[in-house]
Amino acid sequence: MIAYLVTIATLVSIAVLIAMALNVQWGMCGMVNFGLAGFVALGAYTTAILTLAGWPALFAVAASVVVCAVMGGLLSLISMRLSEDYLAIVTLGFGEIVRLVTLNEGWLTGGALGLPGIPRPLVETIGSENYETAFLAGAVLIVAIVYFGLERLTRSPVGAALRAVRDDDLVASSLGRNVLLLRVKAFALGGGITAIAGSLQAFQFSYIDPSQFTAIMTAYAFMAVIAGGRGSHRGLILGACSIMFLLEASRFLKDVIEVLDNAQIAAIRLILIGAGLILLLIFRPQGLMREYRLSAPRATAATAPPPTGKE
Amino acid sequence: MFGQLIVNGIGTGLIVALPALALTLTFGILRFPNFAIGAMLTFSAYMAWTFNVLVGVPLIVSALLTILLFPLVAILCDAAVFRPLRDRGSITLLVASMGLSFVLENICRLFFGNAARNFDIPLARPHRLFDLRFTNEFLIAAAVSLSAMLIVYLILRWSALGRAMRAVADNPNLAAARGIDSGRVIKATWALSGALIAASGVLVGMDRAIDPQLGWNYIIVCFAAAILGGLGSPVGAVVGALMLGLIGELSTLVVPTNYRVGVAFAMIGVVLLLKPNGLFGTREIVK
Repeated sequence: MIAYLVTIATLVSIAVLIAMALNVQWGMCGMVNFGLAGFVALGAYTTAILTLAGWPALFAVAASVVVCAVMGGLLSLISMRLSEDYLAIVTLGFGEIVRLVTLNEGWLTGGALGLPGIPRPLVETIGSENYETAFLAGAVLIVAIVYFGLERLTRSPVGAALRAVRDDDLVASSLGRNVLLLRVKAFALGGGITAIAGSLQAFQFSYIDPSQFTAIMTAYAFMAVIAGGRGSHRGLILGACSIMFLLEASRFLKDVIEVLDNAQIAAIRLILIGAGLILLLIFRPQGLMREYRLSAPRATAATAPPPTGKE
Repeated sequence: MFGQLIVNGIGTGLIVALPALALTLTFGILRFPNFAIGAMLTFSAYMAWTFNVLVGVPLIVSALLTILLFPLVAILCDAAVFRPLRDRGSITLLVASMGLSFVLENICRLFFGNAARNFDIPLARPHRLFDLRFTNEFLIAAAVSLSAMLIVYLILRWSALGRAMRAVADNPNLAAARGIDSGRVIKATWALSGALIAASGVLVGMDRAIDPQLGWNYIIVCFAAAILGGLGSPVGAVVGALMLGLIGELSTLVVPTNYRVGVAFAMIGVVLLLKPNGLFGTREIVK
């Protein structure tokens, strides 16, 4: 049971990282990324291929961060002359290309069979007994570092500029902000974070194949960001954890409803994901937590109910 | 060989033209790219399959039933998902459309499983003309697709409804000021798009096996066609689809067939960089 919980917690950490990447791109800067799973796959495969070639884990992860960040920057450049709608299809296409390459270039990626035997970092030093727990600790540490980094960014002038680009890029550019550069940077930063998530995934299973990186991964991230409140990193962690909890709980549906087989349970979960996404958008667009705003203390004071004088 | 590739390319293009047309119509009126178009295609293909194989009526009848009934599904989807979000901006709507696509695709998976299904149609030998092979499916696809395009053209060009649709697409505020009921126009648009999607769902189902992932194979090509022609332009969508069909087939001479979607994706990139409004896009695209 403990082992199960440790594994789940590690997977939640990876999901939180992916959602954080989306939160930078979509939540903070308003750019939709439907190719998130493709970015995670690109990061995972880069790390896996390099470590299998004998690179130390740290260098491999660094290289995959660079690869994904550059790719994110390039993709956001394609849609520089257009509205964000187009970025959605460009990123969807990118995700599909990554999938095709991982499936078809067997010499590099192992094709549908995937890449087995990815060496896990520091496995000799820590020993295999407590390795899973140590790995979880490492993953949580990474999540914490990324979280505090993003919180700092959100509260910095750059964070304000990113939100300005999201809310009205015309205003942002007339105030002297380089909108294109901000967009490219935000997308590259998100790309880099997905690379870390992908690397963690590769090390966690020490095996990757194309079927691990599907559109479902992207949908989870969107749900986490919407549930948590766009732009709020704290809400997002809460959102990601509650979603994973619900999804894990739905595994036990099978024990209750015996007529359904595994494929049907999987389908029901995905229906719930899609429906949940839509319902959140309709009924709770602000999410669980409010986004950080400069005027937050004053705003809450102003919206507090006025004294009624009846007491 | 070359001639056969041209024939195949036209065949693919004619099938893709219908959902591309549906995509561009909804975009023109509702101003958001509908990412659920792939799942809608899958759903309509399963609908036709249910009538054809489970109920056991001939394919032509089940196709007609699907074309009549699927528009209701599309209108229902709009009422449940898109109408409550109408004034929230295109980004919210497109994320919601992705959610809808998950729901539709997995309703199919829930009831029909992951196994590939086929329509109950007899295999026929392809017709030969000047060394070129024309399969029955090709001829049917061409006939259905061309007549669907003609019908859409007639509706948009000559009917009062079509005039209202073009007016709303052109300038929603002006159309509202002139007393055009936008709710009715939106319903009509979904009905028309739904019928187009249903027709293409049947054609796609004849062309290849039906499985829950079916629509994903078409969504990128479909968007590429609509963007190439200029999102919002019906003529553009048809021309874009034919061009993409031809380019996709001819590219197999140089690129491995597995990467055909990659060619469509590359086209999107090139068009967006060089001619962001597409070939027929007249409207200024909001940046």
